[in-house]
Amino acid sequence: MRIKVTSKLLPEVRRGKPLRVAVNGKWVDAYAGETVAAVLLAEGIQVFRHTARARAPRGVYCGMGLCYECLVTVDEVRAVRACVTPVADGMRIEIDAEPAL
Amino acid sequence: MIASYELAVIGAGPAGMEAALAAAAAGVETAVIDGHPAPGGQVYMPLPAGFEASRPAGEETEGERLSRRLDAAPLARLWNAAVWGIFPDESGSGWSIALAGAEVPRRIHARLLILATGAYDTPVAFPGWTLPGVLTCGAALTLLKNQRIAPFRRVLVSGTGPLVLSAAAHLSAAGVAVAGVCEANRFSRRALRHAPTLLRESRRLGEGAGYLSRLLLAGTPYRTGWSVVEASGEGRVEKAVIARLDAAGAPLPGSERNVEVDGVIAGYGLTPNRGLAQMVGCRLEYLPQKGGWAPWRGENLQTSLPGVYCAGDCAGIAGAENSRLEGQIAGTAAARELGKITAQQAEDFSRRVRPAWAQQQRFARALAELYPLPPGLVSLLQEDTPLCRCEEVTLGAVKQAVAAGAQTLGEVKMLTRAGMGNCQGRMCERPVTAVLLRELGAGAAPETTGSYSVRPPLHPVPIGSLLEDEDS
Ligand SMILES: Cc1cc2nc3c(=O)[nH]c(=O)nc-3n(C[C@H](O)[C@H](O)[C@H](O)COP(=O)(O)OP(=O)(O)OC[C@H]3O[C@@H](n4cnc5c(N)ncnc54)[C@H](O)[C@@H]3O)c2cc1C
Ligand code: FES
Repeated sequence: MRIKVTSKLLPEVRRGKPLRVAVNGKWVDAYAGETVAAVLLAEGIQVFRHTARARAPRGVYCGMGLCYECLVTVDEVRAVRACVTPVADGMRIEIDAEPAL
Repeated sequence: MIASYELAVIGAGPAGMEAALAAAAAGVETAVIDGHPAPGGQVYMPLPAGFEASRPAGEETEGERLSRRLDAAPLARLWNAAVWGIFPDESGSGWSIALAGAEVPRRIHARLLILATGAYDTPVAFPGWTLPGVLTCGAALTLLKNQRIAPFRRVLVSGTGPLVLSAAAHLSAAGVAVAGVCEANRFSRRALRHAPTLLRESRRLGEGAGYLSRLLLAGTPYRTGWSVVEASGEGRVEKAVIARLDAAGAPLPGSERNVEVDGVIAGYGLTPNRGLAQMVGCRLEYLPQKGGWAPWRGENLQTSLPGVYCAGDCAGIAGAENSRLEGQIAGTAAARELGKITAQQAEDFSRRVRPAWAQQQRFARALAELYPLPPGLVSLLQEDTPLCRCEEVTLGAVKQAVAAGAQTLGEVKMLTRAGMGNCQGRMCERPVTAVLLRELGAGAAPETTGSYSVRPPLHPVPIGSLLEDEDS
């Protein structure tokens, strides 16, 4: 969820320009400056991919580009770190959210 | 032509920014490099481009002040530039730095290096820690403060140290229900011994107290000597289990409680991000009070390698204020090494800055003693708990490797592939070390089990840039 309440700890912020990105073909709202991970989490999506061996679900963990758990496909480039990749208008994001192949 | 500088500063957090400013002010031809789109590092991370804070004009934060000074300084700024390798220059006169990023040169050259690459949350493994919904404190704080995203509805925050309170307070401010906060350490008379040092940092104490009172006012259960021991759910976190810990940090049987949550925020202190220092060949030391393996440094923050300095949390966890001072010290030392300032000037500077630095070091030691990483947390692991997230290596597999004779991280890696994945072992070094120490028993120590080696590329880079690199 995008934070709506403001307080001393999290004072008011205006987001960037509205734009649209496609997540597995479905268009969703996003704002310039947001990361791919932020947009997915705002959509309530926690599972970004499944592992190669155990098909175990994975999502954001370190949030700073170091753990490689948040990998998604962006505009046909595979294994992109969602937590450090900003969105762009018209971006196509593919996630691997289904446990069965 | 490859751009050449007298000094390259890698990392533009408080340490790197101050180092670059100090060196540039002394007339050193300096390049400052960061993988992020803008300077700031962890504490001073600016809002993303396009976001705008609505606050009174003219009101500037400390981070904004620093980055404005950096913008005005005579130096080269390379943002969105991830350093994936540093190699000794063929001419023997410095370093060749390999960069990945759309709009930056592939290589630059520098005579001296200041590494200021910061730190990351110390990974602690427990059953369910790989489930989506388990985030580090760092991840939660970046999402909240920088992206303005509340990732969950109802969370448990567990770990040790100041970032636990900070994360919990920010979550609560964002409207997330904080079902509980578990601080793994108990406070004892140990705290009193450090009172004089702690009290001198009244602003930071006040910050912590503010977070705590905010949580208590909201009715958040705050427990000391407790920790998350398990997260579970169908495909994502639906439940967490917490338990009381014994003096060593092992969970006390029978004390478990279930908490319904959709997220677990775990932050057990910070670990120095020492990868580049290790790659260039700086000698490492194991410093439990400073977050683990870190480069050895002399009094001017020089490493064991001539011409290479380390400043800030990448050389031992000590906080933002310490990072700023170390940046100034390293930047000034580099200027002295290049002959830009006199020995007298360096001496005068040193006399001015060292008392403040000593206080920050004392403060860091006090925090490290109050919030150690409890060794007993290793007993949370079950046979099928993954230790290495990348290669999906479980506790059971690591124990088998030990049974087969493995005594070091390198040997575990060869036998199990733990540490061979994309993260180069940054996430599993701690959990695997903890298991090795337990399984090997007396005589084993982090100094004997060792550390994972680090190889270029530090981060996977597009194949194109590696091939081109071989050509040149
Ligand atoms: C989420 C979080 C919140 C924190 N909050 C506080 C706080 O409130 N108060 C406090 O005192 N401390 C806080 N800390 C601790 C914090 O790490 C330090 O206080 C401070 O940020 C350290 O400064 P630094 O300059 O050493 O490193 P950082 O600020 O971490 O800066 C390191 C920089 O190096 C860059 N970098 C690293 N590797 C590379 C590479 N290979 N190529 C290019 N660039 C690279 C990074 O992008 C980063 O910008 C926090 C830490 C975290 C993780
Ligand atoms: S969450 Fe760790 S790399 Fe993105």
